[in-house]
Amino acid sequence: MVNYIIRRLAQAIPQLFLISLILFMLMQAFGDPIASLGVRTPPRPADRERLRRQLGLDQPVYVQYLVWLAGNDWMKIDMDGDGVAETPGKRLGVLRGDFGNSLVSKRPVLELITERLPNTLLLMVTVELVVIIFSLIIGVYSAVRKYSLFDNLVTGLSFVGYSMPIFLIALLLMYLFSINFKEWGLPYLPTVGMFDPEVGRTPGQIALHMILPVLSLSIISIAGYSRYVRSSMLEILDLDYIRTARAKGLREMRVVMRHALRNATLPFITLIGLDIPFLLAGAVVTESIFAWPGTGRLFIEHTAQSDFPVLMGILMMTAIAVVIFQLLTDIAYSYLDPRIRIE
Amino acid sequence: MKRNLYLLLSLVILASIVLAACGGVAPATQPPTDIEPAGTEEPVGTEPAATSGIAIISFVQQPTTLNPLYANQWFSTITTQFWLKGLWSFDSDNNPIPEIAAEIPTTENGGLSEDGKTLTINLRDDVTWSDGEPVTANDFVFTYEMYMAESNVVATRYPYEDYVASVEATDDHTLVVNFTEPFAAWLTSIFQYGVLPEHVLRPVFEADGTLDTAAWNTAPTVGVGPFVFTEWETDSHMIFEANPNWINPPRLEQIFIRMADDAAQEVAILAGDTDIGTFLDWSQADTINNSGVAKFVIQPAGYDEGWYLNFDPETTHPAMLDANVRKAIVLATDREKITQDLLGGQTVPPATFWDSTPPYGDPDLKPYPYDPEEAKRLLDEAGWVDSNEDGTRDKDGRELVLRYIASQRQLRKDVQAVVQQMWAQVGIGAELVNYGDDFFNGYADGGPMATGNFDIAQWSDAPNFPDPDRSDYWSCSEVAGADNPDGANWQDYCNPDLDVLFGQQATETDPEARKQLYYQIGKIMYDEVVWVGLWKDPDLWSISNRLQGVKLSGATPFWNAHEWTISE
Repeated sequence: MVNYIIRRLAQAIPQLFLISLILFMLMQAFGDPIASLGVRTPPRPADRERLRRQLGLDQPVYVQYLVWLAGNDWMKIDMDGDGVAETPGKRLGVLRGDFGNSLVSKRPVLELITERLPNTLLLMVTVELVVIIFSLIIGVYSAVRKYSLFDNLVTGLSFVGYSMPIFLIALLLMYLFSINFKEWGLPYLPTVGMFDPEVGRTPGQIALHMILPVLSLSIISIAGYSRYVRSSMLEILDLDYIRTARAKGLREMRVVMRHALRNATLPFITLIGLDIPFLLAGAVVTESIFAWPGTGRLFIEHTAQSDFPVLMGILMMTAIAVVIFQLLTDIAYSYLDPRIRIE
Repeated sequence: MKRNLYLLLSLVILASIVLAACGGVAPATQPPTDIEPAGTEEPVGTEPAATSGIAIISFVQQPTTLNPLYANQWFSTITTQFWLKGLWSFDSDNNPIPEIAAEIPTTENGGLSEDGKTLTINLRDDVTWSDGEPVTANDFVFTYEMYMAESNVVATRYPYEDYVASVEATDDHTLVVNFTEPFAAWLTSIFQYGVLPEHVLRPVFEADGTLDTAAWNTAPTVGVGPFVFTEWETDSHMIFEANPNWINPPRLEQIFIRMADDAAQEVAILAGDTDIGTFLDWSQADTINNSGVAKFVIQPAGYDEGWYLNFDPETTHPAMLDANVRKAIVLATDREKITQDLLGGQTVPPATFWDSTPPYGDPDLKPYPYDPEEAKRLLDEAGWVDSNEDGTRDKDGRELVLRYIASQRQLRKDVQAVVQQMWAQVGIGAELVNYGDDFFNGYADGGPMATGNFDIAQWSDAPNFPDPDRSDYWSCSEVAGADNPDGANWQDYCNPDLDVLFGQQATETDPEARKQLYYQIGKIMYDEVVWVGLWKDPDLWSISNRLQGVKLSGATPFWNAHEWTISE
């Protein structure tokens, strides 16, 4: 087992290098970071040239990649534009834990990401829990009561939910529960942000502000996942060993919950294992619409400004998380399913 | 049947347990609350007037920094009005209002020397930083040094790099700025976005060798203005608390800036959760005005959407070099209809680049009308006729198809498509091209305009509002090319008469004389069709009905924040 983990991690290293190289090359196509730095008018050409030099953007791409990877404290850079490199560099590079500074705010990338991560996790973990619980409940119940009114209703609704774009769901919920409810004199929910400035940042405020984003994010996933649970439940319920269990005279509850559900959830675990790393990346659209300060918004804001150190930071974090959680899923799988053994 | 009931029941119980657990998740994983609830505090008995109320402003873009040195974005610059005042601000009519300066320097009061090369500014002696240290002329000298320090990656060195010879403090409250030549635009550019606290930042600069990474840039706990910075959680919010020691004590208790994207902002405005909305769109006017909780506010800030034309004979379409053809292109474009159909009819086309920068636009000049018949006549006269009957005019074997470029913004794409149809009516073809961020790239980076890869380019721009100067776009010395890659004149327009006038206005420090010079400049550019205005592009805001006393301005929108009040 230890050997297996070491081997998998060793494989991951060249993989991550390759990913970082490809991503860095793709960043070049994102556009010019300097071009978006103007107040509202394009930056003066003289300022543009100076900024490009001071930020190191005038260097060839492979030099920029090297600096990103290994830092530039071993070389000198030209800050005053006289063609002579005179100032020693200060960056340590990703290999030594320095993801660089944002081009627009000059703040360390790691600081920007770690600041948002708790907000994103708070939102996304809650969503993931809500999704798992509800898709299990709905999926199992639909499978057990196949073709009942409930099953047909849920099937219909899940197609509606699954085919609605998230921004539409989010805006509909906001208009209904915030604007219309307020107009009708009903208790209403807050629209955007994490708390009401008049009240302050209390747990109650945050929970209240989470209701709509969690609802919007959950609807689509529950719609999809409950179908998944339903079909794998249906498959299992027809198997011989379930019939045997029933024939033994076990209570239906025990048959469904213990014998069928445990096996039906195995593929579901793979699905969730794949989901978890992306929880870190946040929900770009939902976070934007609800003004939730998470990593998804960080990503989209800095994409607009072609701020590649920040984008690289978020993407690499996600890539590393994918590698780790893939491994964890595989390990978890071997414990849950006796048929699978890791060599 | 009973079993199924059990199943359903247990599932419901399971669900409620998990729901309860989820409720518990919120506080558990929540980051440590280092923030005091912003609730109402004890009324301050010793203050002359107690402050109350929180104004909530939404920003659709996140400020990148709060340090004016690095402010490369509009939202960073407008924020300084709350916490980092400069020498003066501008009111709603663009009049300068003294802040740290005791008065506005003029030639009459001796502040501006006769030759226009020396500016002497008397500072108030009763202004203190929010930590109690006095604000002195040395702070301004330090600010200038920081703009020019090679180790600081500042956003722009305008105007210090090109126009300022030195900045000195002759005593604690007298600041002297020496210009390399008389500099007409000083009022809007000298320390426009505030001053840096030397006693806080000099030690940082000496320790780090740069201010790029100073903590003060994003958490400026020391400032000078009606409010004091207290916290900034990126992408979430920014808080400024009242500063009772400012010379004009504020009446609000707090300014709360919420970062929210466009869709979030509109919902928050309509739900009454936002007092000031920013960067709105014309299409939102009716919704907001009909909401009953807020109103839509239009504030000119010098911006006009317009066409920039290529005059470089090497790269442009030959037709573009004929003033009559340029005029025909304008006559063939129904600009009134564009503003009606695409902008809700709430703005009009400007005649000159300075119509939105009063008083420099000549009111006697009127935008060219829509007159396709006259356009056809002018084109015929210039020899552009459809000789091969393919629907597009041509001359000497060259079709009259113009390369019309713009950014990716949807509104611009719509305008391009509409214009293409209008031109087709008179036999002008259009090749529509849209660029991403590289649209504004310079010559060295192969930008489409800088390298002349266009006939007509469309964007929204302004002079250094409320100053009218934008001469670098059209003066001969700024023509961009291999020998001058930094040139700002991408149109490659060069007119010696206009150059003389641009030179005169730059050093003309008498406002009335300068206005007359701009009337002449506007007239030449109008007659020669050098720039074509599509529509006036003012700032679009919303203000909630409960927030009172807001007087926005184009240059320093939040200049009177100390007068704002909340009425419930």
